[in-house]
Amino acid sequence: MQVGMRQWLCAGLAALALVMTSPAFSADKTSAQEQAASQQSQPGNNAPVWRDVRGGDNAYQTTQVRGVESSVLVQPEGETWRQVRNNLVTIYGGWVLVAIIAIIGGFYYWKGPMKLHEKPTGRQLLRFGSWDRMVHWGGAISFILLSVTGMITLFGKHILLPIVGYTLFSWLATVSKYIHNFVGPVFAVCVVLMFVTFVKDNFPKAHDLKWLTKFGGLISGEHVASDRFNAGEKVWFWLGVTLMGLLVSVTGFILNFPNFEQGRELMQIANVVHAVSSVLFLIMGLSHIYLGTVGVEGAYDAMRTGYVDETWAKEHHEYWYRDALAQQKSGGGATNPATASAMKEGWK
Amino acid sequence: MARMKFLCDAERCIECNGCVTACKNEHEVPWGVNRRRVVTLNDGLPGEKSISVACMHCSDAPCMAVCPVDCFYKTSEGVVLHDKDLCIGCGYCFYACPFGAPQFPQDGAFGMRGKMDKCTFCAGGPEADNSVAEFKKYGRNRLAEGKLPACAEMCSTKALLGGDSDVIADIYRNRVLKRGKGSEVWGWGTAYGKPEKGATPPAGAKS
Repeated sequence: MQVGMRQWLCAGLAALALVMTSPAFSADKTSAQEQAASQQSQPGNNAPVWRDVRGGDNAYQTTQVRGVESSVLVQPEGETWRQVRNNLVTIYGGWVLVAIIAIIGGFYYWKGPMKLHEKPTGRQLLRFGSWDRMVHWGGAISFILLSVTGMITLFGKHILLPIVGYTLFSWLATVSKYIHNFVGPVFAVCVVLMFVTFVKDNFPKAHDLKWLTKFGGLISGEHVASDRFNAGEKVWFWLGVTLMGLLVSVTGFILNFPNFEQGRELMQIANVVHAVSSVLFLIMGLSHIYLGTVGVEGAYDAMRTGYVDETWAKEHHEYWYRDALAQQKSGGGATNPATASAMKEGWK
Repeated sequence: MARMKFLCDAERCIECNGCVTACKNEHEVPWGVNRRRVVTLNDGLPGEKSISVACMHCSDAPCMAVCPVDCFYKTSEGVVLHDKDLCIGCGYCFYACPFGAPQFPQDGAFGMRGKMDKCTFCAGGPEADNSVAEFKKYGRNRLAEGKLPACAEMCSTKALLGGDSDVIADIYRNRVLKRGKGSEVWGWGTAYGKPEKGATPPAGAKS
């Protein structure tokens, strides 16, 4: 009887040992085993236990407190995140933005706004329909709101806080956080809509290379023909709106919804990717805003009213101009000069 | 001036969670917020060790460094405190803290976390010492009453020590000499391994 019991016990222990040596347990078992072994040779040496502390992925590391990663004792990634965010992202990111603003300002001072060479014809062409403009301005306004509030969060402590003081800056940061967190998802939707709306005219073509090598005649003043969107705008579309838009949106959602109890490491990576891609997005965005407002005469009106003068179309987007004229002749174009100018007046 | 520190003796901690309970009771901490927790390593295995952990009041506190509104300050005793009136609940201190000390009353969608709460070393906040406002936001200010943190005072095995770092380090050294083992001062390298930073309250901070 007693022998039978012992046999069962042995079988049970063997089964337990099998379970313990299965891959799920093996990693944890070693430290416990090492500890047990070291207790024999060196009773005072707890090194194997402490080795596991930093990782915190030990299945036998427990706590009664419920919370995100509450059984982790030390997460060393936090210090890495701090160094990357406070030094690389804040300092380099900040100076890169200062530099791009200085470059754009210098360019404006050097070249001034790009004006039309010939006189406007007075005939208007429809460049952006109401849907195009709605999507563009939805994205643009949310982009500006997110840029300003994001920069307050990242740089405000170093630039605004010493000027406006703790209390006022805290209010500003609170408002910024709410705006950023609630406008963020709106922007993500706008990114998708912008992609769907404008992708058809943004596929790269052979003549885009010519535009890029001549930098669109931005410096030489030379005329380079282009489609509805020139190569610069296509770069902005693919690298800016699409790639950076996707990166900031995905990482933004990770940061914006802590209710899904994602771990700190994911949030730290998301934060750094979010900040770096935001800075790159802003570099391109500032260039786009410059060329779309003071940099190119008539560009802002094109997106505000939807219409451009034929001269503008010819000088800036010649291929598109020809297509639009051809379409107009075949009777498909919505370019009645009377309604166009009336609409333009209506906007003013 | 004394430099206040926590020290948990893993050879003594019996995972009774008395410190956790003492803290919750002393400060009337809201449900879901845990200023202190006990973590057990190798639970149920040979060499099991338990550690009570809370804000360690680091020398070069990462929370302080990453806070976008600079709401943290350090008392002359090295206690890291924060101003809840300034806190915007962004969660950055939680990302940066090695010990998982910063707590938030909510984990809501759209980053609605509420204002951060953490261990104050029983030293309150920027409000007047032992005022109602201070108690509501930060809990009791035992240091102002001449007492040490409730968790350490309540510890049944005196595993958790809180107080002047010279005094508690001395107590610990004597223990190690007597028992001849367990010399690992857990968390001290991470918390106090760097030179002291920000020991004076920032200009404009109350207190």
